[in-house]
Amino acid sequence: MSKIKGFCCNYTLSVEVDALKEEGLVPEDLEIERLPCTGRLEVPEILDAFTKGAEAVFVVGCQVDKCHNLSGSYRASKRVKYAKKILEELDMNPDLVEMFFAGRGETEPVVEAARTMASRA
Amino acid sequence: MIIAERKPMKELLEMVSDVKRLLIVGCRGCVAVCSAGGDKEVSILSAALRLGVKRAGGEIDIHEDTLVRQCDPEYIEPLNDKGAKYDAVLSMACGVGVNFVADRCPDVNVLPALNTTFYGANLSSGEWKEMCAGCGACVLHLTGGLCPVARCAKSLSNGPCGGSQGGRCEINPDVDCIWQQIYDKLSSMNRKEELRQIMPIRDWTTAGHGGPRRRIREDLLP
Repeated sequence: MSKIKGFCCNYTLSVEVDALKEEGLVPEDLEIERLPCTGRLEVPEILDAFTKGAEAVFVVGCQVDKCHNLSGSYRASKRVKYAKKILEELDMNPDLVEMFFAGRGETEPVVEAARTMASRA
Repeated sequence: MIIAERKPMKELLEMVSDVKRLLIVGCRGCVAVCSAGGDKEVSILSAALRLGVKRAGGEIDIHEDTLVRQCDPEYIEPLNDKGAKYDAVLSMACGVGVNFVADRCPDVNVLPALNTTFYGANLSSGEWKEMCAGCGACVLHLTGGLCPVARCAKSLSNGPCGGSQGGRCEINPDVDCIWQQIYDKLSSMNRKEELRQIMPIRDWTTAGHGGPRRRIREDLLP
């Protein structure tokens, strides 16, 4: 498992992660998992990423009012919030998981999210 | 419904510190509806325990299951064999379910994952409020349907105490004085004169003060 794990909505990131790595835009130890919608993401998947070795986890979904599936990214943000609570209960830094929002096809916010989380790991 | 909430992770991790094989069993009854112990919560707790145990340097093999209810014998029957194959069964049912599994499954080491809190209603998503104390001697017909046993901090039977100020309870300004609400409700129904009738001293034996309660309906007995 890479040190930084990202879950991205299929409508946000428009560039392959390997291309971003070749450009040196994102950390080498970044792994991105694309989801049809971040609303599909459940709390156990976030926690399991840590169990498998991730040091920081982030989720990038559509802007809340522009989610392709209406409320998917909003639901994801609530699950991230609950994952933070569990991390706190486990004496982990809750900032090691974070929710970000990006416009359709925007790569830059995903790159920024990956860098932010790498700095927290 | 019965309202419950998950125990703090530290308490649960301590509880399973010697467990190598764990079965987490949810319940699709009340605790699923109040988002404390249904399928989803089983899955979350399982992931949280795996992470917690790993961080503590341990190892644990966790399996998941959810029963229709844990308060009826036919649903927990399979746990007799299945549960005995694990070091422990962590029940995500209310205290009723945990007790029933303990009673009916002698070879199962059952542990509670939840704190059972009260009988309540769902005010909105994520918010529940106590509405009934299960006292066994309902007086709601006298109080406009509002319960002074569960919803008055002192469970008073004949009007508010001196701590009722501006319709609020002295224990917390966010808590309504239920006796103010009872007065307002009966007034709105032109029934406030009924409040002049003094309720007799309550017999609390029906509230569990006479030991564990039991209900029998002869026509349904086998």
